Amino acid sequence: MIGFIKKDLAMIKSNFKTLGLLLLLYVVMGFFGEMDVSFFLPFISVMIMISTFTYDSYNKWDAYLVSFPDGRRNSVKAKYVATLLMILVVSLVTLLLSFIIAYANNKTINYEQILSTMLGTLFGTLLVLSVMYPIIYKFGVEKARIWIFLIVFGVVLAVSLLASYIDFSFVGGVLSFINNYIVLVLILFSIVMVYASYRISLRIELKKEF
Amino acid sequence: MENILEVKNLSKTYDNFALKDVSFNLPKGMIMGFIGENGAGKTTTIKAILNIIQNYSGDIEIFGLNNRKEDGRIKENIGVVLDDMFFPEILTPNDINSIMKSSYKNWDEKRFYTYLKDFALPTNKQIKTFSKGMRKKLEIATALSHYPKLLLLDEPTAGLDPIARAEVIDLFQNFIENEECAILLSSHITTDLEHIADYITFINNGSILLSKTKDELLDHYGIVKCTEKEFKTIHKKDYIRYRKTKYAYEVLVEDKKEFKKKYPVEVVDKITLDDLMVLMIKGEEA
Repeated sequence: MIGFIKKDLAMIKSNFKTLGLLLLLYVVMGFFGEMDVSFFLPFISVMIMISTFTYDSYNKWDAYLVSFPDGRRNSVKAKYVATLLMILVVSLVTLLLSFIIAYANNKTINYEQILSTMLGTLFGTLLVLSVMYPIIYKFGVEKARIWIFLIVFGVVLAVSLLASYIDFSFVGGVLSFINNYIVLVLILFSIVMVYASYRISLRIELKKEF
Repeated sequence: MENILEVKNLSKTYDNFALKDVSFNLPKGMIMGFIGENGAGKTTTIKAILNIIQNYSGDIEIFGLNNRKEDGRIKENIGVVLDDMFFPEILTPNDINSIMKSSYKNWDEKRFYTYLKDFALPTNKQIKTFSKGMRKKLEIATALSHYPKLLLLDEPTAGLDPIARAEVIDLFQNFIENEECAILLSSHITTDLEHIADYITFINNGSILLSKTKDELLDHYGIVKCTEKEFKTIHKKDYIRYRKTKYAYEVLVEDKKEFKKKYPVEVVDKITLDDLMVLMIKGEEA
């Protein structure tokens, strides 16, 4: 599996610059008090990972990988792990930048707001991943593209509405926020959702013919 | 002789094509040339051996193990060059080394870079900048660098110039010096197979037409070129196929010595694999 993770990360290394520029843009916009686009960054990392499927099918890597030891199983596992790694790293960097921007602008950090935005973003991103990957495994990126647009726009809209209109002030303090029931449900639901998605993708991949 | 690969009654049906009861054995220490026209079923058979296609009937054993039940163990010892299937072309040979190092227990980095050097391939350029021949060489270097025991090669010399082809053929011959290994080599360049193959398996329209040692084929089979009048004197059981050309009849016979004893012909030509393919596919049955 490690080999396949290396492959996916090597394939997207050319996108790291773009991702870096987007993070920079986020910082600049943050300092100028423009719209908060932090929720968008983890989504971008999933979109970048989805691009690896296009390369895989264009060069028929998806068939070639079957010649590797446990190739089918390891490739699906690696795709999920690499994507989760990307989401994790981008989310942590975004979170850190959000704290810095908030402190620089207001000399104080509203942990509740930042963490709740990030939690919503993470949930939305994992939802996209969980829905999209089995569709891509089943139909390929080309046919799944229309689904990607519909779902990404839907989720982005939902998350931005959530971040703009829902008042999270009822959650008192960071610790109580983390211990909040809703948070736990979201985390547990995310784990179950991603695992179920992985199992479905694996099942599709194990039966696939090329 | 112990077989490294056994294909038994492999069948698979598509809308427009079917593999029908494909069976053959590849013994250890041997190179089998797998021939047939485009769309005959060579790639489909190799895909079934690797489980790239799955819903087929029949049994495939590699190293004495069932290919469906022991996939991981088997693949550790297989090297492949597959027609048009490879790593994504935005990767570099350095990336491939890093990936393969984590994928195969026996991956030999030094050996891989030695092949790259011998083939004069750059290590840090994207595959998409490579010519077709360079790409093929990279595929071969990748297939050989984890000490596989079985090589499955689908058109490995396609796109290579004669010098590079000779280099690659030498590599395959060196590989087979280890008598625990074997190669299944599908190719349209039949002259290469005449040089290195020990066995020839001929597939046509999804069925195996013959699977014999190369010597048995090239030494015994022959082509008789005769007039229509002479042709009509040949008994049907004494030839396999015939083909009427503009000036003569070409008749494929299974045992040229026997034929010469029986019929008053002066010359029974030696066959080439190309002749054999043309007559078996285009010729009419006895």
